[in-house]
Amino acid sequence: MAKARTRDRVARTVLHVVLGLGLLAMVGPFLWMLLSSFKSEGEIREVPPTWWPRDFGLTNYTELFDRLAFPTYFTNSVVVAGSVTLGNLVLCSAAGYALAKLRFPGRGALLGLVLGTVMVPGMVTFVPLFVLVSKLGLTNTFAGLILPFVVGAFGVFFMRQFILSIPDELIESARIDGAGEVRIFWRIILPLCRPALATLGILTFLGSWNNFLWPLVIATTEDKYTLPVALALYSVGQNETDYGLLLAGSVVVVVPVLIVFVLLQRHFVRGIATTGLK
Amino acid sequence: MRGWIRPVAALGLATAMLAVAACGRDADGTQNEGPGTAVGAGPATGEINIWAMGAEGEKLSALIEGFTKDNPEATVKVTPIPWDGAHDKISTAITAGETPDVALIGTTWMGEFARTGGLDPTPEDLIKPADFYPGAWDTTVVDGTSYGVPWYVETRLFYVNKEVAGKAGITAPPTTWEDLKAAFAAMQDKGGAKWGVSLQPGATGSWQSVMPFVWQNGGTVQKEDGSFDFDSPESVAALEYYKSFFSEGLSPSDLPQGSLEPEFVKGDIGAFVSGPWHIGILEEQGAAGEYELWGMPTKQSATSFVGGGDLAVFKDAANREGAWKFVSYLSRPDVQATWFQTVGDLPSVKSAWDDPALKENPLLSAFGTQLNDAKSPPTISTWDQVAAVFDDKMEALIKTGMTPAEAAAAIQEEATSIGTGA
Amino acid sequence: MTARPQDAALRRGRRGARLRRAVVGWGFVSPFTLLFAVFMAGPVLVSLAMSFTDLRSADVRDPLGVNFVGLDQYAKVFGDPLFLKASGNTAFFVLFGVPLTMTAGLAVALGLSSGLTRFRTLFRVGYYLPVVTSIVAVSVVWRFLLQPETGLVNSLLALVGVDGPNWLADPDLSLPSLVVMATWRNLGFQMVVFLAGLQAIPQNLYEAARLDGAGAWQQFRHVTLPMLRPTMLFVAVITSIGYLQFFEEAYVMTQGGPLNSTLSVSYHIYKQFGFGNYSYASAMSYVLFVAIVALSLLWFRLLKRKEQ
Repeated sequence: MAKARTRDRVARTVLHVVLGLGLLAMVGPFLWMLLSSFKSEGEIREVPPTWWPRDFGLTNYTELFDRLAFPTYFTNSVVVAGSVTLGNLVLCSAAGYALAKLRFPGRGALLGLVLGTVMVPGMVTFVPLFVLVSKLGLTNTFAGLILPFVVGAFGVFFMRQFILSIPDELIESARIDGAGEVRIFWRIILPLCRPALATLGILTFLGSWNNFLWPLVIATTEDKYTLPVALALYSVGQNETDYGLLLAGSVVVVVPVLIVFVLLQRHFVRGIATTGLK
Repeated sequence: MRGWIRPVAALGLATAMLAVAACGRDADGTQNEGPGTAVGAGPATGEINIWAMGAEGEKLSALIEGFTKDNPEATVKVTPIPWDGAHDKISTAITAGETPDVALIGTTWMGEFARTGGLDPTPEDLIKPADFYPGAWDTTVVDGTSYGVPWYVETRLFYVNKEVAGKAGITAPPTTWEDLKAAFAAMQDKGGAKWGVSLQPGATGSWQSVMPFVWQNGGTVQKEDGSFDFDSPESVAALEYYKSFFSEGLSPSDLPQGSLEPEFVKGDIGAFVSGPWHIGILEEQGAAGEYELWGMPTKQSATSFVGGGDLAVFKDAANREGAWKFVSYLSRPDVQATWFQTVGDLPSVKSAWDDPALKENPLLSAFGTQLNDAKSPPTISTWDQVAAVFDDKMEALIKTGMTPAEAAAAIQEEATSIGTGA
Repeated sequence: MTARPQDAALRRGRRGARLRRAVVGWGFVSPFTLLFAVFMAGPVLVSLAMSFTDLRSADVRDPLGVNFVGLDQYAKVFGDPLFLKASGNTAFFVLFGVPLTMTAGLAVALGLSSGLTRFRTLFRVGYYLPVVTSIVAVSVVWRFLLQPETGLVNSLLALVGVDGPNWLADPDLSLPSLVVMATWRNLGFQMVVFLAGLQAIPQNLYEAARLDGAGAWQQFRHVTLPMLRPTMLFVAVITSIGYLQFFEEAYVMTQGGPLNSTLSVSYHIYKQFGFGNYSYASAMSYVLFVAIVALSLLWFRLLKRKEQ
């Protein structure tokens, strides 16, 4: 018995060590990014790269906040990413519920179309989408930034798979009790979807927050830029890059995503469990 | 999941019918438009919207005050856009008809954008081509018509480590092809450098390093009749010269990204080719004053590459007259000199170089001298694609057993099949 | 059969119920469907139509004035030596990348959900960090790792007396290096998915297996793997869709080189869009689409059959 316990403890220690080493490898670049944001431009470019800054300085950050109209860009990013995420959560769960649990004519066709769109390479629809949005008069507006992304085929597919696993009896008994369809959705389905919603929320937020090309092309005045666009504006030149500014900006840009991830990751893990494909 | 097949098939059919409905193109090719209609004298009025990239976008507002003093009824709004993605932004804007009045456009993009018909030809009365460096002016001319004005320029020179050159016994910049190679060899033998020079071994952008040698040898990209000239004996000889740097061990062919500057400063690399922006980079690495600049060697000429940025006014501009007046303001020699002092961009207007800040700076005046003999590639709309083929074959030439003649023939063949987009 | 009044009423009732169901169903999906039709389906159809013409950047101000060329662009795609090379590279990337990433993600998930009770959140966040770290920082560090002389990998190899090659500059080693980098970057996402899948396996199955005398490995083979099948299918499909379109790693680290050994189909498409060959690039995109659909269907066939 004692031998088994020590074997267990050894195994556990080995596991911790191996995973810990792996963790170092995973976290390395992020650490380097964080530490280098405090270095001078010359030191960042050094080969081989240094780790701890020789002269620890905040110049990159002060320059970042001085040169960039930070509050404007940050607010824009929050508004856009927040709206897109919220829109996805509500509309994709509604559509996912219908595609999973409600029978109506045309359901199969719609599902097939949605699935097909998930597999179309993203680049190919970019220009036609832009022409469309501009014809709708939505250039340089928040609507233009948000509407094309407020629903996603992936989101609908994901929610549908999750909701499939909710027992039909729950819905049937609610119907028998006389509950209306909207009430059923709001009171029964959505609360049960909390894990999947958390998952979809973090994925959508991450994608929208880091989106660069669309906000760049839609905005025609600086006050509509989001953070990634502003960051590229001030750090990437025609022939050279301001790495200090870029790294400091990258750190600042990733912090909200990390916060959202840490907050949601408990639900997140539970969420994908039941999204097994049938 | 079978229920979806029929609707999707119906959509596919609809798409096909839509495609067939496409009428077909009218007359081919861009008509030679001729210069733009005169803008006329008088101050500018109304709002002028301008897009500019990078530092130019950030600091342009410094010049606006001078303009609005002379044109009190005009307002200028600058929207800075990032270089990263600027090409896509401008091309989608032209596609959707949502352009500003003026934009800064990279010199190698002019051909493509002009061919869309989205740019306004330069009016004769406001702008005089003779004011500008000829190589820079040529970047704005597409099919015989000028569609913009050069704003700032850059050209390429050899950055040489003074200590290495001194130890190698080099007292003056070499002036011929043979002397140049000998100099680099000496840097390795006596100067203590591992590599005499670092040249780009093919891959993206290498044409900017190779074409100067082709031009120096009297070669061209396009013949008089518009067909490509990549396989001429002059081009092949230039390719052979370029390859010899690698095959004779004078230049590395697989230098890791980011190693160039540290190794140059250390003295492991004797020289490299670049534009004026490296002055700032080397200063940040603490190497100011430890290098000198050499001009291009002479074969039939001592030509270098000229790039930079052009200002163009859009056909869909809301305020065409104001736009051209602002562009003409930016091309004044005194404004160009002020601009250099604000942002460090080298002026495209020749007389601006008389300013002491430029004339008395030995590094910058070296660039100025080279600008008198610098060329740019032809403004065909397919240049990006042809250049990519060129870069590809250069990489094969340097890294595999391909011969210069084979590389030249391959480039010629593929370039011809791509065509000039006319 | 003679019609009876009750039959007609029944049919009318059924039709009424059907109508009600249609209204409710479409009510729930209409916001999504409207936005989907306008912003997703519309552009897809337009770009598909574009692939049957010879639209180039010079035509953008007059897009209807182009020629209909049928399947010419598609034929050109298959005759393009660079496309064929890119396809080979992409196939290699998917063939090795997907199993490697899945194995790594599963291994980490297994490790984290078994004996590890401390610092669970830290490990989860840490392993997920590469997914959210800026590609710029990632590329700088990885370039350092793979540097021929001073890089970490070759320094470690030198300790055991091996002379490491120039990983990124060797046409034969550049793509495998990127596969490893992509695995590193994406295993965090897979780990999270597998963690969830592992949590869903009922513990009593393991106990039953243990009572039958199964050791750790047998438990894994006979309980864990079969129960994980749906999760694996999801991960396999999502990862394949992603890897078939791999672009960023090559764009930032090697720019498709050396000698096009890391050129992916997506990167080739991106370049063609950059050159202004819009209809050609669209055609190539839809060829890629067919490959994505085909691979997804294959995964469904492989991993769907046995259901508990």
